[in-house]
Amino acid sequence: MTLLDLNEVSAGYGTMRVLHGINFSIRPGERVGLVGLNGHGKTTLISTIVGMTGWQDGSIKFNGKEIGGRRSHGAGRTTPKIVRLGIAIAPQGDAIFPGLSVSDNLDSGAYTPGSWRQRRKRRQDILDIFPPLTRLLRQSAGTLSGGERRMVSVGRALMADADLYLVDEPSLGLAPKISTGLVAALCEIELGDGAMLIAEQNLPLLAGRCDRIVGMHAGEIKDDVGEALGDMPAQGSHND
Amino acid sequence: MIELVVSALVLASMYGLVAIGISLTWSSIGMLNLAQGFVFTAGGYGAFMVVEALHKAGVHDTTTIALAAILSGMAVSALAGLFVGVLAFLPLHDRANFAVRGLIATLAISLLGTQVFMLTFGARNKPLPQLFGLGRLDIFGVTIPFSQLGTIVVAAVLLGAVAVWMRRSRRGLQMRSMMMNPLGANMVGVSVRTTGMTALAISGALSGLASVMLAQTYFVSPSSGMQPLIVGLIVSLAGGLGSIPGTIAAAIIFGFAEALTSRFLAQSMVPFVQFGLVILILLIRPRGLGGVLEDVRE
Repeated sequence: MTLLDLNEVSAGYGTMRVLHGINFSIRPGERVGLVGLNGHGKTTLISTIVGMTGWQDGSIKFNGKEIGGRRSHGAGRTTPKIVRLGIAIAPQGDAIFPGLSVSDNLDSGAYTPGSWRQRRKRRQDILDIFPPLTRLLRQSAGTLSGGERRMVSVGRALMADADLYLVDEPSLGLAPKISTGLVAALCEIELGDGAMLIAEQNLPLLAGRCDRIVGMHAGEIKDDVGEALGDMPAQGSHND
Repeated sequence: MIELVVSALVLASMYGLVAIGISLTWSSIGMLNLAQGFVFTAGGYGAFMVVEALHKAGVHDTTTIALAAILSGMAVSALAGLFVGVLAFLPLHDRANFAVRGLIATLAISLLGTQVFMLTFGARNKPLPQLFGLGRLDIFGVTIPFSQLGTIVVAAVLLGAVAVWMRRSRRGLQMRSMMMNPLGANMVGVSVRTTGMTALAISGALSGLASVMLAQTYFVSPSSGMQPLIVGLIVSLAGGLGSIPGTIAAAIIFGFAEALTSRFLAQSMVPFVQFGLVILILLIRPRGLGGVLEDVRE
């Protein structure tokens, strides 16, 4: 039984091919780390799952339903539909709504009708995970610091009643202390039957906290993480 | 004095209804809907046809007719808004240069629409019945017609409802998130297409209401949407795209400006004052009075 199943998936932008025939799957309840260096396709893999790359090819099955296929235009057109099937994304950097309050930002993550009805309870759960947001609820999200923005972005994804959470580079650009806390919080969340994929450059942040860690190298999945990180296995380890 | 305030508020309600529609569409999907005047006129004719039909059917109860006129005006305009969406928004929104293409497409619909109304209904003005009766209210020795008071009250209630809906509801949040960050909205499951069509239907309904209200004093004619479109554009710009409070404030300012100008200068000076005022406001506050859209949408 797999939750997400990628079969020979390639994707890219224009004439550039970033992913080369990816075969990869995630089982329910699994927390998977995806590590690899910058520019090797981690973000593209996440974007491909939700149909946001320029083009894509190959089968992507989510809960047995085909959400991939061959496509050469219309980037992002199917994204809302895929997201509503039960995939939540916290994109690289963030894509928060700067003029809206933190609580509106979080609520927008509960956009699917099922989660919208429980949004107060869900918001409380997020505040338990990220306590610093509690006193910022009324504040406009555009005025937050980088770390707070990232919490809002990840929190927004967690607001959704999703089966699969895709978290892209939660530590990117954050101070080591903050990123460690954020990733630790992410790794402690009860998943139940849900699953989580965390893309991360910084292997030590994930090591020992995920059920499984796979590497990404030059657009291909490597089960041997060392190979994916090449000669720099300890890249970023000073963050510890 | 009171008369002046009332006529300013009547103008403000009219401009507010049209401008909020334009502002919603522009800020949420980035389409400057030049067919808003067509949508406006469609509501007027819709209400006219329904009222005619009711008269023929022998209905003479004024309350029924008034309600039917308002509701049919709003419904027809909402449909006209969706029609604009099907022609100019759905096929174009993810193409390059959507802003310009949308502008051209809606302009075409607007020009064509005027001719179609002309062919169908003729160039002669069509009257709508007085919706709120011919009575007058006596305030401190000044009599104010019910038609004016009714217009102000109905517009205020409806604008208030839209403002609350935007703040509290799921669809409202959908609209606001799309204004702030279309990509982010996409990623939480908000579809541009549904948002766009919702925005067009709502702005249509508001324009339809304005159209029926305006027909109380000015009749319905094939090009009666032109003036509201232009002033609506000015007001929505001055109010700050996407901001309902800003737009309402701008509508009130422009309502008073017009009332004062036509009272103390001349009706012919009104456009000068309007354009002068919008230039002044944008010089001082380039994002308009409300200015919620910072540098989010280019």
